[in-house]
Amino acid sequence: MENLVYVALFAPFVGSLFAALFGMSQRQIFVGVIASGLLAVSFISSLLLAINLYTTGNVIHVTMMDWINAGDISIPFGFVIDQISVTMMTVVTLVSTIVHIYAIGYMDHDKAFNRFFSYLSAFVFSMLILVMSDNFAGLFIGWEGVGVCSWLLVGFWYHKPDQTREENPSISPSWAANEAFIMNRIADLGMLVGIFILYWNTGSLQYDVVFAALPNLDDAVLVTAAIALFIGAMGKSAQFPLHTWLTDAMEGPTPVSALIHAATMVTAGVFLVIRSNPLYGMEAVAGVSFFIACLGTFVAFYAASMALVERDLKRIIAYSTLSQLGYMFAAAGLGAYWIALFHLAAHAFFKALLFLGGGNVMHAMHDELDLFKMGELRKKMRGTFIYMTIASIALAGLPPLAGFWSKDAIIETAFNEHTYVLWFMLVLTAGMTAFYSFRQVFLTFFGEDRHTALGFHPHEMYKFVLAAMSPLAVLAIITGWFMGGYKAFIYQIGEGVQYEMSEHTHHLATYLGLIVIFVAVSGIILAYFKYARTGKNAFKRNEEKEQGFFYKLLINQYYVPKIYEEYITKPYAMISEVFWTKVDLKIVDATVDNIAKFFYVSGDKTRAMQTGNLSNYLNWMAVGAVVLLVIAAISAMLV
Amino acid sequence: MENMLSILVFFPAVAGLLGFVVEKESARMYGVTVAAIEFALSLWLWFSFDMSNAGMQFVEMIPLIPDFGITYYLGADGISLFIIIMTTLMTLIGMAGMSETRNVKNMIITLLFLEMTMVGVFVALDAIIFYMFWELSLVPMLYIIGAWGGPLRIYASIKFFLYTFAGSLIMLVGMLFVAYTYHDLTGVWSFAITDWYALVLPVDYQLWLFAAFFIGFAIKVPMFPFHTWIPYAHGQAPTIGSVILAAVLLKMGTYGFVRFSLPMFPDASVMAITPIAVLSLIMIIYTAMIAYAQKDMKQVIAYSSVSHMGIIMLGLFAMNAEGLSGSVFQMLSHGIVSGALFMLVGVIYDRRHTKLMSEFGGLAAVMPKYAVIFGIMLMAAVGLPLTMGFPGEFLVLLGFYKISPIMTILAGTSIILGAVYMLRLFKKSFFGPLNNEENMKLKDLNNRETWSLIPLVAIVIWLGVYPKPVLEPIDNSVKALLVFMDEKAITKEAKDMILVSKSNKGGA
Amino acid sequence: MIGLSHYLIVSAIIFSIGLVGVLRRRNLLMLFFATEVMLNAVNIAFAAISHYYNDLTGQMFAFFIIAIAASEVAVGLGILIVLFKKHGSLDLDDLANMRG
Repeated sequence: MENLVYVALFAPFVGSLFAALFGMSQRQIFVGVIASGLLAVSFISSLLLAINLYTTGNVIHVTMMDWINAGDISIPFGFVIDQISVTMMTVVTLVSTIVHIYAIGYMDHDKAFNRFFSYLSAFVFSMLILVMSDNFAGLFIGWEGVGVCSWLLVGFWYHKPDQTREENPSISPSWAANEAFIMNRIADLGMLVGIFILYWNTGSLQYDVVFAALPNLDDAVLVTAAIALFIGAMGKSAQFPLHTWLTDAMEGPTPVSALIHAATMVTAGVFLVIRSNPLYGMEAVAGVSFFIACLGTFVAFYAASMALVERDLKRIIAYSTLSQLGYMFAAAGLGAYWIALFHLAAHAFFKALLFLGGGNVMHAMHDELDLFKMGELRKKMRGTFIYMTIASIALAGLPPLAGFWSKDAIIETAFNEHTYVLWFMLVLTAGMTAFYSFRQVFLTFFGEDRHTALGFHPHEMYKFVLAAMSPLAVLAIITGWFMGGYKAFIYQIGEGVQYEMSEHTHHLATYLGLIVIFVAVSGIILAYFKYARTGKNAFKRNEEKEQGFFYKLLINQYYVPKIYEEYITKPYAMISEVFWTKVDLKIVDATVDNIAKFFYVSGDKTRAMQTGNLSNYLNWMAVGAVVLLVIAAISAMLV
Repeated sequence: MENMLSILVFFPAVAGLLGFVVEKESARMYGVTVAAIEFALSLWLWFSFDMSNAGMQFVEMIPLIPDFGITYYLGADGISLFIIIMTTLMTLIGMAGMSETRNVKNMIITLLFLEMTMVGVFVALDAIIFYMFWELSLVPMLYIIGAWGGPLRIYASIKFFLYTFAGSLIMLVGMLFVAYTYHDLTGVWSFAITDWYALVLPVDYQLWLFAAFFIGFAIKVPMFPFHTWIPYAHGQAPTIGSVILAAVLLKMGTYGFVRFSLPMFPDASVMAITPIAVLSLIMIIYTAMIAYAQKDMKQVIAYSSVSHMGIIMLGLFAMNAEGLSGSVFQMLSHGIVSGALFMLVGVIYDRRHTKLMSEFGGLAAVMPKYAVIFGIMLMAAVGLPLTMGFPGEFLVLLGFYKISPIMTILAGTSIILGAVYMLRLFKKSFFGPLNNEENMKLKDLNNRETWSLIPLVAIVIWLGVYPKPVLEPIDNSVKALLVFMDEKAITKEAKDMILVSKSNKGGA
Repeated sequence: MIGLSHYLIVSAIIFSIGLVGVLRRRNLLMLFFATEVMLNAVNIAFAAISHYYNDLTGQMFAFFIIAIAASEVAVGLGILIVLFKKHGSLDLDDLANMRG
């Protein structure tokens, strides 16, 4: 079994190195095929590990080698395969495998095809380190590793020039890549601080040692550690106020958006909270956990509101991702860790499907993403249409698809915890989710044909790509049916992750579910009437409405990016400039130069004494002698 | 080999003298060969090094002026060993990758002399010998900047020389005073550092002496506000000069703190934690911001190098093994990474004769290999895990967290600000459209450049993934140093502050 | 009664005269004379103090000074002649070629 762990972990790494060998040469299909094959190997290993864990219940713990040993700290490369990590591994490798196969078709015409696979596999490797590691430092390796891969992949089309924010809200791929990296670094500092706190208070970074020592620690220590680690999670999972990078990251190729910015990397923050459930589940940090739940709910609503008016296909999906991450945090914050993890998995499947479908549309429309330029595509892209509809139903949370079970459980949790405000917000957001996801489906696939007039001639994606997407479609439908089984599986870990609804909620469960369904269906119906009809009822742009206050607020993302630019980026550049030109050159350096100048000038001035005239010299000598005599006389008198 | 260290020190100098009779055309080959032999010798030193011994090894001692206790006294421990290896490595790589065509023979000879002085500083255990090498190292560097530099080279080289020279004179006064006190207390003269270690000085003496040594070392590091010579020196120096300056000469300052200030003045060091930490924080944040404002690629790297030295300084005063080991490791990492970055900037300067970022953009398309290596070094510079930049920075911040959480968070902003200026540099030069006509026909790295950079890339990744072979001997010596400081400290505050690691507490 | 102090006062006066000569004169030859005057002022003081203490060392020193002064004059005058031949003048203002 130990070998399987290493196979699962290193297969993507080998794939990445292999692709890197051909990184600078012409497009080679076999590079993509081999990278995908190695990922499939990794997936199968993960699956075998999961099955083994399910049947035997034995957690596998392996230590590969030492990494950093200094002072009393000792950090190994160690990996743990328990219910949490194996869930993540299976989800990550499955989605990655499909995305890899998809990318063979999607990146078909790209010159940097090989390089793309190298980055993509490297990403999977980092993600696996992140989820499999048995200590916080190992987690941090993966944490930073996925950050770098995300930087490389978002900036994959680095040659595109910068545009103004009005032309392109994300400015350029390279800009978006840097933004993502830097925002994540801000959060990483928080995470590092969390690691430091844990180390100095528990003497180790191993999960088991740290978690075992938690009950002995001060409340203040626990709270600061929890806050610091959560700041780290906020960056990776793009929670407010570190969320702007996620929508801008849509500048990357679509497979990247599907894999990194929907299914896997952004869920790392949720994973961290779930992984640290012994910490977040403690009485002492209940306040922090509740804050996480509130922030999650807020982000769910906040992101959904921006998605209502967005016209860019990929950005809508990005907002929906943000919103769903909010749901996960809400669940985790309320203590329902396993429900958060389950939603994470279900979300990974349907969101990846949605993104890949979006990629098909984008491919067909020659990179045009404006929904207003599409319409009636269902006739030309039947397969994609079916997939995206399935994914959207799952996202909207209608039974019996995956999204319903997990999301309903989260909403129920909010009710169960008597946080009715959160419950209400989450239900409302569910309605908004249904509305904007179907707004997007209807605008793309129904309604009037708006694209032909603009010169687009869409065509369906390759058959093999559609075939590769089918497992995701199946999973998006059926995942929810296994919730009970999964619950049994994850309950093996112990009490920390267990969460049951109270009797009271249990009775109301059916009604609560019906409310959610009702809200979601109304959202869909509203979207249908507004966007799906043809003929004289067909959707028309209302320019006047677009000048309204709320519309402008939403389309400009509540002006948050603008505020960041005006109040952080620009002042920073200005202060830097002042520091350099005014402080460093004019004060610090000038002081040094002035000291040197003082000696130089005083030498230059006294040089006049050197007249070369012996008589003058003799005069000076006499003066000197007299001065010395006087000094000698005075000192003689003093003594 | 008994006089291994002497050979290590004087082999380059002797070879340098012989270099005068070498033909001009073969001077470069000769230099690279000598540097390679020297590097091999330093590796041999590593292999014959006893990893479990935390004390001085390969000790050589020949009395020079017995009446005044001046001895030719050399030795190496875990801390100096790797700095020596890094010195010989960077000299070799710098020489192999050198693109200079003017007066190559003189350059080679100068570099070999410089190598002698640098290795000499790191192995000297007698204050006078140390001081001699310390000052001698200025001369070849003065010559390199002054003779091969840019338009402002005279100003830059004189500034470099006088500034550091002024500092080291104050340090010399401190040294003489220590020797005088030693004579006062014991009745014999001695300049041996190991003898000085045994000297327990009253706190006020310690403070004054610490200040004297501090000025000498701080100017070399260079600490804020003594850093202003470095932008000129880097800006005007030829590539090879910047590589050696950043990689090795700056480390002499931080090494001085480890070798002199910490063990000799433990109480003063503990008292100095806060002021030094504040200066280091200013260094880290302020120079990182200045780096962001730069328009010239080389100046970005120069200021970033100052910023990273701030992290090293912080770690030295963490007073625990984590921080101190991390700091020494970070010295090595900074040496290799910033050296490599300067070489990389040199590559583009050779092609375009400009270093202004506005002249570039989209270079990744025409120079992919260059972009990849630059990218790796950049990631190492911002401290990405699994590159060499991470263990040091992580351990330093971890160690200093014990002293002050707030200051650590402020220092930790270096991981953000570092990413900000480095990514900006990368975006401006490598990303974006390829607009400038002149950049379109740029050639990618040639064989010489590639093969001098590949070893550095390999080391950066190797020591990022598996730092143990280097970190372990460093850690042993650092632990011994801390135990020594803890025993020697006379004030209670200092004893409380110096944290001896558990593994040592049990044994000692 | 003429005592030590009288001698010393005379010596000081002569020394001052010599010093003023050194400071004020522009001609090298005159400078020479002025230094000789100063030397002799010192000689007077030596002789007087030697007598006062009944110690011959002082008078011996005076002889030394006379001998040295003589040889100095010999060398100095030689130099002066060369200088005069070269520049045609012994005026110090004309000889300022060491100007910094």
